[in-house]
Amino acid sequence: MSEYILEMRNIRKTFPGVVALDKVSFKVRKGEIHALVGENGAGKSTLMKVLNGVHQADSGEIFLNDEAVKIKDTKDAEKKGIGLVFQECNLVNSLTVSENMFLNNLRRGKHGLINWKELNKITQDFLDSFKFYLNATDKIEDLSSSQKQMVEIAKTLYKKPAIVVMDEPTSSLTTGETEHLFQIMRELKAQGTTIIYISHKMDEIFDMCDTATVLRDGQVIETRPTKDFTRDEIVERMVGRSVEAEYPVRTCEIGETVLKLENVTRNGIVENISFELHKGEILGLAGLVGSGRTEIAEAIFGAEHYDGGIIEVGGKKVQIASTADGKRNGIGLLTEDRKETGLVLSYDLIRNITVTNLKKVRNGFMIDSKKERQVATELAKELNVKTPSMMQIARNLSGGNQQKVVFAKWLFSDVDILILDEPTRGIDVGAKYEIYCLMNKLVESGKSIIMISSELPEVLGMSDRIVVLSGGKKAGELKKDQFSAEAVMRLAIEN
Amino acid sequence: MGKFKTDKIESSVNWKSMFREWGMIFVILLIVVVATIRRPAFLSVSNLINILRSYSTIGIAALGMAYVIIGGGMDLSISSTVSLSAVVTMLVINGTVIEGVSPAHATFLALAAGIIIGALVGCIGGGIMAAVNGQMGESFIITYALQIIIAAVANGVVGGKFQAAGYKSGLFKQIGMGLNPVIIFLVMAVILQIILVKTIFGRNLYFLGANMKAAKMAGIKTRQVRFLSHVICGICAGIAGVVVVSRVNSASISQGLNYEMDAMACVAIGGTSLDGGSGSITKTVLGVVMLGVLLNALNLLGVQANEQLIVRGAVVVIAVVLDTLNKKAKLKEVAK
Repeated sequence: MSEYILEMRNIRKTFPGVVALDKVSFKVRKGEIHALVGENGAGKSTLMKVLNGVHQADSGEIFLNDEAVKIKDTKDAEKKGIGLVFQECNLVNSLTVSENMFLNNLRRGKHGLINWKELNKITQDFLDSFKFYLNATDKIEDLSSSQKQMVEIAKTLYKKPAIVVMDEPTSSLTTGETEHLFQIMRELKAQGTTIIYISHKMDEIFDMCDTATVLRDGQVIETRPTKDFTRDEIVERMVGRSVEAEYPVRTCEIGETVLKLENVTRNGIVENISFELHKGEILGLAGLVGSGRTEIAEAIFGAEHYDGGIIEVGGKKVQIASTADGKRNGIGLLTEDRKETGLVLSYDLIRNITVTNLKKVRNGFMIDSKKERQVATELAKELNVKTPSMMQIARNLSGGNQQKVVFAKWLFSDVDILILDEPTRGIDVGAKYEIYCLMNKLVESGKSIIMISSELPEVLGMSDRIVVLSGGKKAGELKKDQFSAEAVMRLAIEN
Repeated sequence: MGKFKTDKIESSVNWKSMFREWGMIFVILLIVVVATIRRPAFLSVSNLINILRSYSTIGIAALGMAYVIIGGGMDLSISSTVSLSAVVTMLVINGTVIEGVSPAHATFLALAAGIIIGALVGCIGGGIMAAVNGQMGESFIITYALQIIIAAVANGVVGGKFQAAGYKSGLFKQIGMGLNPVIIFLVMAVILQIILVKTIFGRNLYFLGANMKAAKMAGIKTRQVRFLSHVICGICAGIAGVVVVSRVNSASISQGLNYEMDAMACVAIGGTSLDGGSGSITKTVLGVVMLGVLLNALNLLGVQANEQLIVRGAVVVIAVVLDTLNKKAKLKEVAK
């Protein structure tokens, strides 16, 4: 028997008009943590979906323990010992943790009834054995998004798979939780479980993984032990060119106050938040997941009602009761979930871009389609959106390009204050850099930005000033000369 | 390996997707062919005009229904709105008849009454929907309850009595004469299609139906758009009530029976997804023609009214099933 638990040989997968995977050969040693890296759209997820039976390859073979296998569907993959931790949440919100864990294989006890007491105990024992710090009887809807991710992981692990695939599991986890996940991974490794780990985060790859395989444009570029790779080498292979500095510099005058919050409160969610935003400034809003960053942003934009406090725009007190009010006052919010709330995925790029300000392309009462197309196309070109056509639907674009379309949409609205909630989440290194350059260009043209981000290096690298929230309260404010990861973290964990 | 094989699979997939997309139209065309072979008169101009004439009132109601459905909602109250509009219209006309003639001002009064009633019912339904910020699920329950309430109101207005026309000629009778109902239907369709694709309200309605959260986060006044869609639907149902009274020269409280079902069927057959966010008025007009042709063909083939009801219900179910399959297939195609 060879040392490889999994071998995928010459996998080819095409979708109408795209070759997603081209002769991909991928080998994983038994018991290792194998990183799969690549830009979005490189084919990582497709490859894993082929492994998991979601997609069937056009050609190529899969071997498990040197034995050729066909994986018909996800159930089949499960039976063969392959477990996938989903990136997006696949839990039923109204059910409890243990109900979700047993959703697909409920065991019946006496009289054909389900013995929940017993199942809850089994679940709790399992959760405790991995130190998940979760309650088997808690409802999913009462959990934070990181706890939900933990349930997803527990759900997969419970089936005791020989190979676990984790697709960016840490993107919604806080630093502490990430460390906890790593402990679980180390435990799994010690038990002999093989892990395939998809991530964009270099630190994680180098800390945790034994081997890394880089994919680009549907092809394997290189597989090497991580200790033989340097950070820059991996990034270079991902993007196919050498990388520029991680954060571009800007030359920008910071001007007068454009937005002022005074004791803004959302009952039970955020309390007495005060800060100012200046013209031409990027204000970082840092804090742990659940610290109230998104929640305060929603209040400023008018997506959620605030119960107390004063918001001033351009020195004048304003009432923001709806998103339309927010927009009218020159405030735009790029949400953290571009697929759910940032774009209508089934609509073309033109419609997605112009929706924020159709008045601009109106002639009398009618929308001028020609003008609309022209303006949208110009914006998309300016932002370097890669798409075969403007009539392409948003779903078909890669994450980075989708995010650029969301930017285009808010640029089209002519708002002066942009709140960016996790603007680079889940997008690849090359596109990230473009987004940073774009942010610089925006503030240089006189706009102001509030950036919410869970990635500390990004907050430190891009902000002019940082406000740190903790437990729904403002924990402190840092000027540029006070910036350090430790300073931010100290404030973030204050409560 | 297997290049030939994969090609073959792909071509069969294409057939499948063709059927999912156009399956309903295929089936209806098939029925038309059978009907034409058995009764050559089916395809005659006079029969086609007859079809258009008899389905134009359902068509008018379906136009409004299309608005609500594109916005991601549903309006089951329109059957009662048509009935209420019909009986009130008849009361107004009969109350203003002079020597067996309905004068012009009475006609406008009746039309205004129909529109106002429709708008009022739409305001109630749309108002509640806006207040609860509801979507498809809420709209089903709310407008269904409204259907019951408005039916009771219609019943109360005329004490359940059938009303015959008190006029023999005049402008009001003209509304339902000859091709006039068809013309009213088509003119309304053109206006509503333009509003839908060319105005900001129309565009916002699509966004509301496609993704209400995204619409809100783009700064669209979602409650306002939802409210307006129901008001427009109500107005269409109100006008349908007026036209149907003029066409049949009588009014009863069951005038609008099954209108919600037929309107839904027209929208669905035309290819507008009952999920919202897609489709159009043009497609709905096609759907009206198709439903008309289908039911008329069934008539000619000797299928009784009761069995026809089964077909009408089945049509909606099939349309939804096909639409769901179609969506799933499309998602699979683009999934990476």
